[in-house]
Amino acid sequence: MIRKLLLSFALLFLFAGCDMFDYHPYDGQITGDKGVNAKNIARIEAACAGKTSIKFVSMGDTQRWYDETEEFVKALNKRNDIDFVIHDGDFTDFGATEEFMWMRDIMNGLNVPYVGLLGNHDCLANGEDIFRTIFGPENFSFKAGNVNFICLNTNALEFDYSRPVPDFEFIQNEIDKQQPEQNKTVVAMHARPYSEQFDNNVARVFQNIIKGFPDLQFCINGHDHHLQANDLFNDGIMYYGSASIDKKSYLVYTITPDNQYTYEVVYF
Amino acid sequence: MKLFTFKTKITLLAVFVFLVNNTTVQAQKVVKDTVLIITDSIKPNGEKNYRAGWGILIPEYAKLQYAGSMGFLSLGGGWDYGKRKQWETDLFIGFLPHYSTSKNKITFTLKQNYIPWKLDIGSKFMIEPLTTGLYLNTIWGRDFWVKELEKYPNSYYAFSSKIRINVFVGQRITYKFKEDREIFKSATFFYEVSTNDLYLLSAVNNSYLKPKDYLVLSLGLKVQLF
Repeated sequence: MIRKLLLSFALLFLFAGCDMFDYHPYDGQITGDKGVNAKNIARIEAACAGKTSIKFVSMGDTQRWYDETEEFVKALNKRNDIDFVIHDGDFTDFGATEEFMWMRDIMNGLNVPYVGLLGNHDCLANGEDIFRTIFGPENFSFKAGNVNFICLNTNALEFDYSRPVPDFEFIQNEIDKQQPEQNKTVVAMHARPYSEQFDNNVARVFQNIIKGFPDLQFCINGHDHHLQANDLFNDGIMYYGSASIDKKSYLVYTITPDNQYTYEVVYF
Repeated sequence: MKLFTFKTKITLLAVFVFLVNNTTVQAQKVVKDTVLIITDSIKPNGEKNYRAGWGILIPEYAKLQYAGSMGFLSLGGGWDYGKRKQWETDLFIGFLPHYSTSKNKITFTLKQNYIPWKLDIGSKFMIEPLTTGLYLNTIWGRDFWVKELEKYPNSYYAFSSKIRINVFVGQRITYKFKEDREIFKSATFFYEVSTNDLYLLSAVNNSYLKPKDYLVLSLGLKVQLF
């Protein structure tokens, strides 16, 4: 009888157990896909090369809303007019390792490539290390057709001056890299200027510097969990905020060669 | 989740140890000066008299636990008590390699077990069909806080990244060594299925997360010392 019992335990562990041995919610033990942003950027740049009209989606703040995020993925997979998706940050609520992997696996279900920004919740505990391993650096840029996307970490409250947030050195280097051809720019961030996360002492400085990018179209952000469209600095540069995914909406932007862009809110 | 600060916890523990120790010393004095009847009323379970004073702090068993959201490997000891020794209180120190993060980490665990039934199988084996309880785990490191830092607006994150509450159920099987041994009386293998506050909060209101996502397995060994 004991032998039978022991055998059944052993079988239980073999079949059900292997990935159920959890060392700690903050163990940083990552299985599956890593370096997601870099892989997807390669896909975006290849697919959009030579295009002068691009259509992309901005969404985010998916923390703990797994079912809703899955619904979003299903809804978006029914379309075939989108070039890529930007997740505006807050993949997780607690910065726990498993949360990052759960959300990554759902987002990986998208037919189109996506990139993820660092949200303030993603910085909690050692979340930032996990974000870097699964997605990549917190400041990055890519080019879709003739539009440059500058993706920035703006969660200054999480970093206590230990690191420059926003990183003007990075921004200036990106500006210097630009060729003055007919390129356009979109700046993406999790928390926008004047939110409690942003280093508001440099809000105007930030705005003046990003206006140095060629033909800055608009800025996109997440964080506030509701839809936003504001000319924050009264200078014609719009900031558009996506709602959290439980509101079941996403934003679609179309940038066209006639020097115009349109955006629409889509409910799913 | 307002819990005691670390300092308060240490102080409480020290006061507790002092009181326990003090009472026992007084009891011994009584034995010397007066009659044995009084001793009996103070210490009804006479068989434990040899563990007087600081002796009660010596753990009765050692435990080694693998996984269970308290470290890669945790080493600890504890005390059993109650009429049928149905209660066990353990203290663990856990080691957590850094994996994708920058530092190796140490964790501490305070665990309360309840073991309602013990079934003898022959003279050598014993099965405990149910073990259940709670454990509090804290993780060492600057990245983790008990209470959110002053810099945040009120109730900004509203949880502690440092302290986890876990609940578990499990089973155990024990092999008894020869009766007359003074130390290493028995060895027990156990497994547990557990979850913690963060995983439970993630699981509610979601059908995407399945039990295999929010439930955690662990394996362990217990050696009864005394």
